[in-house]
Amino acid sequence: MSDTPIIDLQNLEKRFGKFTAVSNVSLSLRQGEFFSLLGPSGCGKTTVLRMIAGFQEPSSGQVLIDGQDMSDIPANKRPTNMVFQSYAIFPHLNVGDNVAYGLRGRGIARTEIDQRVSEALDMVELGGLQSRRATELSGGQRQRVALARALVMRPKVLLLDEPLSALDKNLREQMQFEMRHLQQSLGITFVMVTHDQYEAMTMSDRIGVMFNGELVQVDAPNVLYARPRNRAVANFIGGMNFLPADAKEDASGALDVTMPGFGRMRIDQNPNVTARSAQALVGIRPEQLEIAADRPADYDAVAKGTVRDVAFYGENIHYRVLLDGVETPIAASVPNYFHSIDFKPGDAVWLGVQSASVIDLGRDS
Amino acid sequence: MKRANGLLIYTTLYLAFLYLPVLLLPLFSFNDGTIVAFPIKGWTLDWYRQLGAQDTLLNALGNSLIVGITTALLATSMGLFAARAYVRNRFPGKEASEGLVMLPLVIPGIIVASSMLVLFISIGLKPSLTAVILGHSFLALPFSVSIMKSAFDDFDASLEEAAYDLGSTVLETFRRVTLPVVAPGIVSSFLVTFTVSFDEFVLAFFLSGNEPTLPVYIWSQIRFPAKLPNTLALGSVLLLASVLLLVVAEYFRRRSSSKSA
Repeated sequence: MSDTPIIDLQNLEKRFGKFTAVSNVSLSLRQGEFFSLLGPSGCGKTTVLRMIAGFQEPSSGQVLIDGQDMSDIPANKRPTNMVFQSYAIFPHLNVGDNVAYGLRGRGIARTEIDQRVSEALDMVELGGLQSRRATELSGGQRQRVALARALVMRPKVLLLDEPLSALDKNLREQMQFEMRHLQQSLGITFVMVTHDQYEAMTMSDRIGVMFNGELVQVDAPNVLYARPRNRAVANFIGGMNFLPADAKEDASGALDVTMPGFGRMRIDQNPNVTARSAQALVGIRPEQLEIAADRPADYDAVAKGTVRDVAFYGENIHYRVLLDGVETPIAASVPNYFHSIDFKPGDAVWLGVQSASVIDLGRDS
Repeated sequence: MKRANGLLIYTTLYLAFLYLPVLLLPLFSFNDGTIVAFPIKGWTLDWYRQLGAQDTLLNALGNSLIVGITTALLATSMGLFAARAYVRNRFPGKEASEGLVMLPLVIPGIIVASSMLVLFISIGLKPSLTAVILGHSFLALPFSVSIMKSAFDDFDASLEEAAYDLGSTVLETFRRVTLPVVAPGIVSSFLVTFTVSFDEFVLAFFLSGNEPTLPVYIWSQIRFPAKLPNTLALGSVLLLASVLLLVVAEYFRRRSSSKSA
């Protein structure tokens, strides 16, 4: 494994007329990494992927693959291959000919092509289906053929454009694990574009979150979840309660934070709180809140309120609680243990939070 | 129920009015006599047998095949590229040019024919099969463009990107992916444009000079009562051939839209 990043994006920018689709994206990917570009639709993530593939030319900036500048190299000469959102299975060819497409016509011996095609099909668990017609494949099978057709080319980087969005929920979850497993056993760098936060979190080594053409944060899934950089990222990844807060640093360097409903709390040694602004925005994940009928002991801050809504999610129960004197309801989610307490709308409850659960989101933006 | 019966009568009359004359054509082509009137005198295949022996007729048939095939080739290849551009790309003047391509469908044939005759003569192109081919290609283009447009509508653009991504050059992508995927559309367009040209009379009459196509030849024969049964036989053969061609064309058109769905 070399130190050269397998993909190096340098100040990548793409403008369509006056509209800036991608602005100043810089990013280095390690060899063998599973990287996801995550963001809402229209955020520019697909444009970044297509610039890596060579389908779109950057307005400025550079794409380097394995240290080599790709500016003058067209898509058909790049060491990348793509799995398209629609899978783009050639309808006039059978499965074997689809997978062999890229190997034909470049002086590779027939026996070797057959060998590589059958290996690739085995890899995606479609072994022996060479002669199946493309029009007879199910959605999941089409996805596997698209994977095999790209992987048989032995690309340095595999690009995946929303690869699971066309599949139903159960199949999607199964394919998440299979693709992750495939990627790890092959050691090929995968770059996936998705708008689904769970897909990105379950599969990726690192995630890049994009909004309005900008790459806002790049981190491992657990870091992204624990320390979102701003409100937009926090809102996009998982659920989050946003609270305006007054913060004061005391003599010992600890922080004195006042939040609506919860009152004052001392925060000491919390890596998620760094900015020492007077007017801050803090976030608390719903699952980090304790909900109880009586005032909970051993919490750094507590608040009293009334249950407004209950939503049953199976593994979790989600409550929305109106704190006394606060307008915006607070979301709290608790695991659905068989003996779990069951509150109803209108019940008086207490919420408890630990100082370690408070995330500093900087100024309200 | 009463209303439905009324509709049934209307439909029956409508279809009879439309198709009975067409059915009379083959009927009288088997009539053993030169006068086209009931009662039928007797049955014969003579009129069909004589067709093969008439040189001027075979000559006209040859002209029509040359014109039809060349027109079909020209119109279909232009239609293929135009349709791909219309479906895939956005460019200034796209709507205007799409409308312009469809214009021959609504301009009266006599106007097109006389203005083409004037144009061709003024640029030094005498009435000939070449002139007819150019005129027919103009008439056939709207058909090929609309057939090819529907073929490309069902064609996922990422298929071409996938081929390019897998290392194909632009030409290779066209040959190995684009052409085979739209092939049923191409066949359908070829057959329809061929039929458009093969049946066309007005333009051919103005532009063919002394090389008549089959419809022009038939028209010239209708004036001679003795030749009429021959003409009926010929017409029946053409009718059968046209229907067969269009059925085949429709089969390919449907295949092209169901395939990529």
